[in-house]
Amino acid sequence: MKGREEIEALLKSVLSLVKAPHAQAEYHCRSHLATRFGENAVTQNMAGAEEHVRLVVAYGSNQGSSITNTLDTASVDRLAKRAQDIAKHSPHDPEYMPPITQQSFPATPPRWDAAVARLSPDAIAEDIFTAVELAKAAKYKASGLFEASRGAKAIANSQSLFAFDRFSNLNYSTTMHGPLGSGSCAENGEYVHQVAANALARRALETAKQAQNPKPIGPGDYTVIFEPQAVADLLGFLTWNMSAREADEGTTVFTGKIGKRFFSEMVCLETRIDDPELPAPPFGQDGLAARRRTWINAGIVERLRHDRYWASRKDTDPDPLLYPLFMEGQDQSLHDLIAQCKKGLLVKRLWYIRYVDRKELLLTGMTRDGLFLIKNGHIVHPVSNLRFNESPVVFLQNVIAMSHPERVEDWIKVPGIMSEHFTFSSKTESV
Amino acid sequence: MKEYTDVALTIANEAGAGFCDMRIVEERQNRIYVRRRSLKRLDETDSFGYGIRILLNGAWGFAFNTRLSKDDVAKTARLAVQTARASSKVPKQLAACMAKEPGNIETLSGPCKEDPFKVPHKEKAELLITACDQMLKVHDVAVAEGFLQFIKLHRIIANSDGSYLDLTNYFANPNLQAVAVVGTESQQRSYQGGARQAGYEFIREIDLVGHAQRWAAEAVMKCKAEDCPTGVMDVVLDPINLALTMHESVGHPTELDRILGWEANLAGRSFIRPEDVGALCYGSNWVNFSIDNTLDGGLGSWFYDDDGVKMQKFPLITNGTLVNLTTTRETVPLIGWDRSNGCCRSDSYSHFPINRIANLYLEPGTDDNLTPHDLIAGVERGIYIQGMGSFSIDQMRNNFQFGGDLFWLIEGGKMTTPLKKVTYQAHTRQFWGSCDGIAGQKCWKPHGIMNCGKGEPMQIMCMTHGAADALFRDIKVGAAKL
Repeated sequence: MKGREEIEALLKSVLSLVKAPHAQAEYHCRSHLATRFGENAVTQNMAGAEEHVRLVVAYGSNQGSSITNTLDTASVDRLAKRAQDIAKHSPHDPEYMPPITQQSFPATPPRWDAAVARLSPDAIAEDIFTAVELAKAAKYKASGLFEASRGAKAIANSQSLFAFDRFSNLNYSTTMHGPLGSGSCAENGEYVHQVAANALARRALETAKQAQNPKPIGPGDYTVIFEPQAVADLLGFLTWNMSAREADEGTTVFTGKIGKRFFSEMVCLETRIDDPELPAPPFGQDGLAARRRTWINAGIVERLRHDRYWASRKDTDPDPLLYPLFMEGQDQSLHDLIAQCKKGLLVKRLWYIRYVDRKELLLTGMTRDGLFLIKNGHIVHPVSNLRFNESPVVFLQNVIAMSHPERVEDWIKVPGIMSEHFTFSSKTESV
Repeated sequence: MKEYTDVALTIANEAGAGFCDMRIVEERQNRIYVRRRSLKRLDETDSFGYGIRILLNGAWGFAFNTRLSKDDVAKTARLAVQTARASSKVPKQLAACMAKEPGNIETLSGPCKEDPFKVPHKEKAELLITACDQMLKVHDVAVAEGFLQFIKLHRIIANSDGSYLDLTNYFANPNLQAVAVVGTESQQRSYQGGARQAGYEFIREIDLVGHAQRWAAEAVMKCKAEDCPTGVMDVVLDPINLALTMHESVGHPTELDRILGWEANLAGRSFIRPEDVGALCYGSNWVNFSIDNTLDGGLGSWFYDDDGVKMQKFPLITNGTLVNLTTTRETVPLIGWDRSNGCCRSDSYSHFPINRIANLYLEPGTDDNLTPHDLIAGVERGIYIQGMGSFSIDQMRNNFQFGGDLFWLIEGGKMTTPLKKVTYQAHTRQFWGSCDGIAGQKCWKPHGIMNCGKGEPMQIMCMTHGAADALFRDIKVGAAKL
């Protein structure tokens, strides 16, 4: 993998080929190991590396871009010529934004662990072997994915900006299937120590055992306790609708909501750049320096994300990053939430979520890999999966309590949430 | 390229591999995206790389690279051997093997009358800007977006069966959408013709600019329409709506790798068991599904799949009974079948080929003269649903809920009132069992889907579906909370 100096030299050489007044060159590389398993055996095992350069150029407000993943001299020459040819003949863009000037980047926590780079297919196979042996001992079936990757991203432009980030990433998920129920668990991180592979497999197996022989339950409105994974599954759709421009255009649920209380007072959502458990990149769109942003504070929508063009129209600063996101929680555990629940459902994970109505942010999807009935503060038995038709807005308006926030994806840290009146509309026997 | 593929095959042979292939993929892509009157993207991408797949002692290895020299190929092949050896630490119960195939040597190219890469970028961009402009002229339309994507996919597949296949396909993928805002309501309406394996002639044929104002007006109409009624009633689904319904409830559950449990961690499994083939009642007698990877213009018509199997046409469901599955060379021996039917594809040189939905379509009804209006005439109270919208199905492919893009209430056999936010929900076999009429061949339409996600790491694949309008009795509608 190329180092910082080599990447900077490469991007400068690309920019030197450009005669257009505005240019921005971006570099991405990735070295990747991925092992899949299913039915207690490895089914695929992949390794390799790739890199590419994207060049955006503009004459006035006429822009064009080109990408190549072969970086020999002739290919880079072609890249520069083609991007300029496209720009010369492209129509005027009334929303064109020129390259940004040099930035002062914050000292974000490192996102790189050399130990991830040293991982081998053999080492990954050993962790999978442990999961599979656990499954076999229970006469269950293990499936999953273990990925280890490392890479770099850099941006240089005709205004002398150079932004660089290197990162590593581990991602391990496993699902355990028994005859009549399943359990799943996933972890990811930038550092090897953030993924406890064997403990993860044991948790998935434990859930799968608890999920066996689910009893049918009817659809209806329930108090729910979403584990952090399920909260993240639902919140993805909320965050995709946090565009200031789209809200101003009247097409999202956030239209007219700035400065208003839209969620429970317990809901706070922000982009943080200083958490070593979920480190942020030092820069965001077009190389803008990362910065902390509060989006929702005590249930009030404080701000929505502005791209560079919309920020210029609204006379505000652009928002470099939306992710990683953090939702505040409360000083209690998931068990504490369960203990407070008189009657409800514990939801481990959601699946196949889609819009039903984008403006209302009404979504549908299914529960998966563990749904449990809670009565009088205790889990009493597993129940069959249910389809929901509900909005994450309603879910966050009806919050009763939260647990500690946890990192559950590489883009978000959220608490478990207990919320009432969550609408399930139909049932399935699928496990 | 043969001098390079020979290097990989030789190293695999020396390592004792039971099977090896090297797939060289060169892709050229052109994308144009316009939002309102702003050209947000106009680019061309060149991508080159290769993947080497090695089956060693019944375990798979795979490695990819973008650098092409004999040394690089040798290094990549040795990395594939290393990953295969790691795989063997968690072995399959039955050592993986590939169903037999003859070696084939062919050079083939797909349909493309007008090379999209020779059409001036400015013309393509101005087409979208003009179409968006037409949409924005309609009162209450707040946003218009247009997108064009052209791909030239060139694959060379060399394998240890002796195959050397040099295959080129072209894909054209248009989209155009209007978003209207009326008061606090916002609805969208979009081009629903899908993608096709074709050149720029497809874009000229569909006339985005000519239809733009109608679609925009329909987005406004949806804003003012009544909400979906709730209850159990008949639905008539147009071919485009059916494309997504069959994709999720027929295409995915009949993939043999899902049935075998290999996708359990993410995409899920299937309610079908291998022994159901020939016996399982999937739908009513009206229901006949075909797989056709030779379909002209079909997005899945790649001549040969990535296992080196010649693509073919065969029935999947006949008179409501499941009669086949979609398979790969690795999966068929596990259920005692001799040959794959050619449904193994990968979306990139860097991804391992997997079992994919093929071109899959619902055969038209036997009465050539039967039209959607005839089907609607047979409905006392129901909904006519056009186009694609919301879609969600459980991980065993049973419980699903779908939406659409345009909806009409049917009363007394006639379309009366426009509706919005319509959903229908059913279980797969109950739904296809309720099919009570399919329009004739004249109403049959194909629809190409470019964004089928499956696998880990996620792979995005394309295929074409097709249908004539069809009638389904007693379906639950309006379950969504409005």
